[in-house]
Amino acid sequence: MHDNEHSSHHEESFISKYIFSLDHKMIGKQFLIYGLIMLFVGGGLALLFRWQLAYPERPLPIIGASPQYLEEGEVVTGADRMWERIYESEQEEWLEVNMPNGVVEPAFYNMLFTMHATIMVFFVVVPILVGAFGNFLIPLMIGTRDMAFPILNMLSFWLAVLAAIVMTIGFFVPGGHAAAGWTGYAPLSSDPQWTGVDWGQNLWAISLLIQGFSSLVGSINYITTIINMRAPGMTFFRLPLVIWSLFIVAILLLLAFPVLSSALALLIFDRLAGTTFFTATAEGGGDPLLWQHLFWFFGHPEVYILILPGMGIASELVAVFSRKPIFGYRSMVYAMIAIAFLGWIVWGHHMFQSGMRPGLGSVFMTTTMLIAVPSAIKTFNWLGTMFRGSIRFTAPMLHAIAFVSMFVIGGLSGIYMANTPVDIFIHDTYYIVAHIHYVVFGGSLFAMFGGIIFWFPKMYGRHMNDVLSKIHFWLTFIAFNCTFFPMHILGVGGHMRRISNPMQYEFLQQFEGMNIFITMSAFTLGFAQLILVFNFFWSMYRGKVAEKNPWHVNTLEWEAPTPVPHGNFGQIPTVYRGPYEYSVPGEESDWIPQADPEHAPATSGD
Amino acid sequence: MMETHNNSGIRDRQPLSNARLGILILLGAETMLFSGLIGTFLVFRVGNVTWPPPSHIGIELPRAVTGINTALLLLSGYTMFQARRAIQKDLVKQLHKWLLLTGVLGLLFLGIQGSEWGQLIGKGLTLQSGVYGGIFYVLIGCHAVHVLSAVIWLFIVFGMALKGRFSAARYVGVDTCTIYWIFVVALWPILYVLVYLF
Amino acid sequence: MLQWLPENVSTFGQGVDNLFHAIYWLTLIVFVLVMGTLIVFLIKYRHQEGKKADYIEGSTTLEIIWTAATTVIVFVLAMFSYPQWNNIKSPTQFPENPDVVVQVNGKQFNWDMTYPGPDNEFGTDDDLELENELHVPVNAVVHIRLTAEDVIHSFFVPQLRLKQDALPNRFIDVWFEATKAGRYEIPCAELCGFGHSGMLGYLNVHTQNDYDAWVQERWPQ
Ligand code: HEA
Ligand code: HEA
Ligand code: CUA
Ligand SMILES: [Cu+2]
Repeated sequence: MHDNEHSSHHEESFISKYIFSLDHKMIGKQFLIYGLIMLFVGGGLALLFRWQLAYPERPLPIIGASPQYLEEGEVVTGADRMWERIYESEQEEWLEVNMPNGVVEPAFYNMLFTMHATIMVFFVVVPILVGAFGNFLIPLMIGTRDMAFPILNMLSFWLAVLAAIVMTIGFFVPGGHAAAGWTGYAPLSSDPQWTGVDWGQNLWAISLLIQGFSSLVGSINYITTIINMRAPGMTFFRLPLVIWSLFIVAILLLLAFPVLSSALALLIFDRLAGTTFFTATAEGGGDPLLWQHLFWFFGHPEVYILILPGMGIASELVAVFSRKPIFGYRSMVYAMIAIAFLGWIVWGHHMFQSGMRPGLGSVFMTTTMLIAVPSAIKTFNWLGTMFRGSIRFTAPMLHAIAFVSMFVIGGLSGIYMANTPVDIFIHDTYYIVAHIHYVVFGGSLFAMFGGIIFWFPKMYGRHMNDVLSKIHFWLTFIAFNCTFFPMHILGVGGHMRRISNPMQYEFLQQFEGMNIFITMSAFTLGFAQLILVFNFFWSMYRGKVAEKNPWHVNTLEWEAPTPVPHGNFGQIPTVYRGPYEYSVPGEESDWIPQADPEHAPATSGD
Repeated sequence: MMETHNNSGIRDRQPLSNARLGILILLGAETMLFSGLIGTFLVFRVGNVTWPPPSHIGIELPRAVTGINTALLLLSGYTMFQARRAIQKDLVKQLHKWLLLTGVLGLLFLGIQGSEWGQLIGKGLTLQSGVYGGIFYVLIGCHAVHVLSAVIWLFIVFGMALKGRFSAARYVGVDTCTIYWIFVVALWPILYVLVYLF
Repeated sequence: MLQWLPENVSTFGQGVDNLFHAIYWLTLIVFVLVMGTLIVFLIKYRHQEGKKADYIEGSTTLEIIWTAATTVIVFVLAMFSYPQWNNIKSPTQFPENPDVVVQVNGKQFNWDMTYPGPDNEFGTDDDLELENELHVPVNAVVHIRLTAEDVIHSFFVPQLRLKQDALPNRFIDVWFEATKAGRYEIPCAELCGFGHSGMLGYLNVHTQNDYDAWVQERWPQ
């Protein structure tokens, strides 16, 4: 073996090192930064429309016109001057069309939540959880030097950037960006005459097609790498759970995204080539429900794509910081496989009220509720892992605990909606919005934060500041619950989602105060994220320098030197045991690394 | 990439090389793409009592010609398979012959289909004629694009073969192309039966 | 939390509410159990100097218990839900011989209500079209033929616990029987364009006498 010639010492230019890098770790970090930037865009959009929900028709702070200006045309603030200029100019300014005087227009509102969700789902959670963690962790944790196809890997990142650029252009085309919800229901999305949105919707579809290619390339890479390139001794049942979750997610992405691509292609044909796949016409026309079936056949596996890596990360953190083996490692794996499998046969639960045959509704209700079973296994096994452990309340562990508890809330609210009769009432209300955010923010995002803090030392060779991390955690945790828990109550009160002005409805007027409270909390939540960003960049240069394995973890990524060189390992490690050998009886230290040849025979994990 | 795992000492455990495995995985995605479109076709096909819908009476899909075309494509699957066999036995000349034959068959398939499309459009069946025309052109067209890309790929492989890049010890390039080609060929009879005969 | 539910005024609404309550209690108990255990564990098993964690790899018995328990709960819940759902949504199980039949047509951004008139047939001269106002008698079975003109809308009456999407070029049958006179809002619950927020109709549930008077006024005999 001639291992060492491979490692760090070839000189690279800035471009090949930081921009068009072929190194999986750099690509992972690129995905991370990219996702964090998009998080701020997506979150910023949310804050914009949250303002409108709390104070309908009232100008935004800072950029909105003052009351004096609105009433008497008297210019008092800088913003007034700006509006004056905009109204006097000959052209139709972007702000004038979308937010006259700083008030969010109804059409603009639709565009805001559409893009909020699209960006969060496709450009934040998937790039970070799958793109960043997948790229960074897979080769390191299975013990290999890089991905199977480094060039495809780079391609995957740049395709994602291209998709984001195309998506961003959509904001500025005439007619505005896509405004048919992230679910893009036809015929609203398939015929420009219903929304006035022209190229925005096309770019939305094209961008997602590009994103589909990016995911396709990425998942081929992940699957091949995990199947073919594991270090000697790394059997499938010695893989860390986070690698299992990424493996399963890659398969889901591989199989789910093409279905969306086919739907998007049909949508583009409808919009640009005059076909009528999604428009019912008397003469040989299509079917609007077809879009929903195709979209949700992709969409439901997609939501498990969002949560499974989170489950994997949480499993790592819970085991490491309880200093205990995962409770029921194999059933954790089988539960994830079961969730992924059941995810394919439940899509109809989004369509209970859509006009789908009621008999099908009953079938989908049953399959949907069955997902509670593998989820129960996961939840109770996390608890079991903490049972009689030695729990350290580090910042990553706090996030993992938040993940478990918030996922339980989000999952349990899923049971209400899975129940067909109850869904009649809560479908398309804020109950659903509450559910969404408990699973994707409470779930995926908390796991993501935890993962970032946990692996930061390996990524950048330094620790994130612990005090700031904990302040960020508590602020986020509290503000998150204040933002999204009351949405359950709105939902029970019948508050519809996707409405820009609840005050237009008599039965919703009682919720004005609650909407204001939610908005306040949302702003707090948003600003809490600035702490994370500050901490992130500050620690990159100023953080405490990290040792090789500061958390005392067994898995292989901590065998590599810090910072990890090109080629990862001097010598490819050999794996002797499962990843969770913590607190083995009769051992002096409470951890035995997977690659540690001592202490054989392996105690478990085979 | 072959080198990477050579020096990690785990190559002997791999039943399939990365490239072959990667292509097989890609086929999973392709299958789902076509499932989406075939599902769409079936929704329209089953949802309409008369098919083609009444407004299209008189437009007959060219079943017979397409049947012959199907045979041509299946034949190209056979020739491709022979090409792979040839290189496995290190018969480079044979490889050239079979590859060329396969490429010509593929082009022939595309040509015949193209002329059919021309006739159909002449008869008034266009992309815009309801879902009948729409799904016909999109589904069959999607397959045609795949055939086209397979043909292009094949000629790249052919070019590489002429330069002597392949041998019995090293023919991953031929192999991956074969896998893809066989997929595209095997898909067609399903489409033919569904769209033309069903 | 459930006191925020709008007052129920339909015959089938109580069934929905009962399920809602049942799931509420079920999930509340599960939640309290899980969170309680979690918190106890976090306190009891926090890191203490000199104390090592126990090496526990799992317990098949326990895992079988919670898998089986969840499965049973889920199926029981499903059994109770089927009849409710069919009662509300399956056209074959609707009460026969409705007292009133109305066609409701969603369009950007209004609800068009069409009454067939005394001859009980749509498309005849005595049809009556009303914008955004639906009039029905109390304690009477109402059938609605729901459709849409342009995009998908959704017919939602919170107090009736009724919601159904309206599709262009398709008729979907819906029924209800209101138990209390009053005026209720009919928001549109499916995103249908820039006017979606504020697409609002009204359901006027009259006492039988008032309803008869209203009919008299529209179709004087
Ligand atoms: C990460 C994303 C994620 C995850 C993990 C889930 C998980 C689940 N979701 Fe969710 N869902 C979304 C994201 C997600 N969802 C989104 C984004 C939408 C909205 C889309 C849109 O319209 O815009 C949506 C919408 C949605 C609907 C449609 C509602 C409607 O529009 O009317 C339904 C209906 O059944 C549903 C159900 C479920 C269920 C049953 C689960 C289950 O997987 C949950 C299982 C977990 C548990 C049950 C908790 C743990 C278990 C125990 C503690 C054991 C004990 C439990 C019992 C005995 C019950 N979801
Ligand atoms: C991963 C997914 C994800 C995430 C993280 C979020 C995060 C948030 N979401 Fe999102 N949301 C969805 C996915 C997500 N959402 C989906 C799928 C829908 C359904 C859409 C549909 O109906 O089609 C939805 C819909 C939705 C609605 C319903 C809209 C409607 O139906 O009318 C609301 C309402 O309050 C909302 C609010 C929020 C808020 C306040 C946050 C907060 O957590 C955000 C916190 C803010 C930040 C993290 C960024 C920090 C920003 C700043 C500090 C400001 C400075 C920056 C700039 C000005 C650029 N979301
Ligand atoms: Cu009509 Cu929303
Ligand atoms: Cu779902």
